[in-house]
Amino acid sequence: MTARPYDVGGRAYDVTVVVPVVERPVALDALYIEFSAPLREAGYTFEFVFVAYPWFRHLTQALSALRARGEPVRLLEVAQSAGETTLLKVAAASCRSPILVTLPAYLQTTPAVLPELVAKVEGGADLAVACRSARRDALVNRMQNRVLHLLVGRLAGGRLHDVACGVRAMRTELVSEVPLYGDFARFLPLLALREGQATEEVPAAVHPKAMRGRIYAPGVYLRRLIDVLGLFFLLKFTDKPLRFFGLIGSAIAGIGVIILLTVAIQRFGGQGLADRPVLLLGVLLITLGVQSVALGLIGEMIVHLSASQQKRYRLRRSSPPAHPDAA
Amino acid sequence: MSNRSMLSVVVPLYNEEESVGALVDAVREALGIERAWELVLVDDGSRDRTAAVARDLAARDDRVRLVELARNYGQTQAMQAGFDAARGDTVVSMDGDLQNDPADIPSLAAKLEEGYDLVAGYRLRRQDKLITRKVPSWVANRLIRAITGVQIRDNGCSLKAYRRSTLQHLHLYSDMHRFLPAVAAATTGARITEVPVRHHARRFGQSKYGLSRILKILADLLTITMIAWFRERPIVMFGLGAAGAFAAGIAFLAGSFAAAAELRESMANAYVFPAAALLCFMLACYLLMLGLIGEVAVWKAREREHLLPNVVERPL
Repeated sequence: MTARPYDVGGRAYDVTVVVPVVERPVALDALYIEFSAPLREAGYTFEFVFVAYPWFRHLTQALSALRARGEPVRLLEVAQSAGETTLLKVAAASCRSPILVTLPAYLQTTPAVLPELVAKVEGGADLAVACRSARRDALVNRMQNRVLHLLVGRLAGGRLHDVACGVRAMRTELVSEVPLYGDFARFLPLLALREGQATEEVPAAVHPKAMRGRIYAPGVYLRRLIDVLGLFFLLKFTDKPLRFFGLIGSAIAGIGVIILLTVAIQRFGGQGLADRPVLLLGVLLITLGVQSVALGLIGEMIVHLSASQQKRYRLRRSSPPAHPDAA
Repeated sequence: MSNRSMLSVVVPLYNEEESVGALVDAVREALGIERAWELVLVDDGSRDRTAAVARDLAARDDRVRLVELARNYGQTQAMQAGFDAARGDTVVSMDGDLQNDPADIPSLAAKLEEGYDLVAGYRLRRQDKLITRKVPSWVANRLIRAITGVQIRDNGCSLKAYRRSTLQHLHLYSDMHRFLPAVAAATTGARITEVPVRHHARRFGQSKYGLSRILKILADLLTITMIAWFRERPIVMFGLGAAGAFAAGIAFLAGSFAAAAELRESMANAYVFPAAALLCFMLACYLLMLGLIGEVAVWKAREREHLLPNVVERPL
């Protein structure tokens, strides 16, 4: 297990709810009151950990009042502009419960889904994700969303339908078992699936006060699209970069070779070379192709050199334990 | 703690619910009671009842062990998981579809005892479809032999025996299991030989291969070649490429002078050669820089490991 630098001691809980205060946060005390109620009703002991940037102090002040009333609320401040992934990892490191729930600091689903998600994880799932049904949203958003989810859905092999929903419950250890960095916390369910973690969906209702009709700038979706493409590459080709760069490179260089061959044959037919700009195109394509293949080889080299560092598979169980003497 | 004379048989299974019972029986019969052995079954996230059947078999015989992967990772990772779990000094890998015959295991193990690090089986009278299996396999083996220099007739045969000391240095990823002998030779200097083994027609289930393998094999071969020749000095490989590009650039420059002499009246068109030369020079620079990045990667990896690469102590 990783060190838990923020551990303040004291009793453990059933559930830790991590709230990354990142984008368009709502009033945090209201959020706490609304979302802690169903957990309390279901009989879980819990703690809310808010992870926030310093510039959200005007919002996090409200938490002091909750704390003064004896509510199990903690605040972690992350100094630099770390990504959501870092916030999640920081929170997981200070988590004192076997189950971790993530909850965006804005309204996505109704609170009732929280205990259902926790129950799924208690029932053996590694990760449970809320899946919002019937999303009410601006038409533009829905269309952009559909394109994105079509791509993401393909990556997940049709097993996930609302990857972007931030309301999730998981085993706390999962955060350190799944390779996470950059903005990929958003795609945690996809990465978890790839790690062989049992991932389930729980249908959830959209929160009635969820903001409607907000139109995202196209830039937001462009960023997401780039994220998804990056993820697509990583999921398919991390262990075999040459398959990707080699295929692209040899296709491009192949066209270049065909052009040069044609030009060369015509040269022997008596047509001069020096006034054929297409020769330039041929050379350009070949150099591009070679560059792509060379990049793929560098990738393979990095993969090979790090091969001894990690296990690339995860066991469900083994009988008898793989290393009885290693316990 | 590894048992000195134990023999571990590692079998990756993917959707082999019908075969696995017969497989365990055949291994039991082939190995008998004369030497200590274990059979490590690896369930590679099968969608059928393979895991349940295997769990049952493992419960009834403590020489049979089962390792279940969390999802379907592919044959390479399944084999790696089996190797990691195996406790014997000699490890034998085998397909789970009964096309290999466990009766060949003792002869492989005996050959290993003669002082080899890896003994590969080659299939006599292979019982597979000609066009989709045998022809691609023949081409692939030719290529692998020519490029890696490891003289193994049948790289696709899973029935192989290894010394534990050799496996310890192998970290399989991607589809490396197909090139295991070449990788072992390149990274640990393994002494390799082969023995003939029997091959049976598939009795149950579906073959898990297709024709698209050839392209993938080509890419993998390029990787293996690089690993074999340049794993410590990538700048040499990229430098060779850069030298080639540089030579092409010089050739185009020479062409441009020749063309300038010839086309005195239409000099406007003679830009083609100098421009092509520039492109080639650019490629040369680019490759050199990539080579330097490669050096950085090797440097960083060696820094991390704090040890000499893959030293194997040979029994004398």
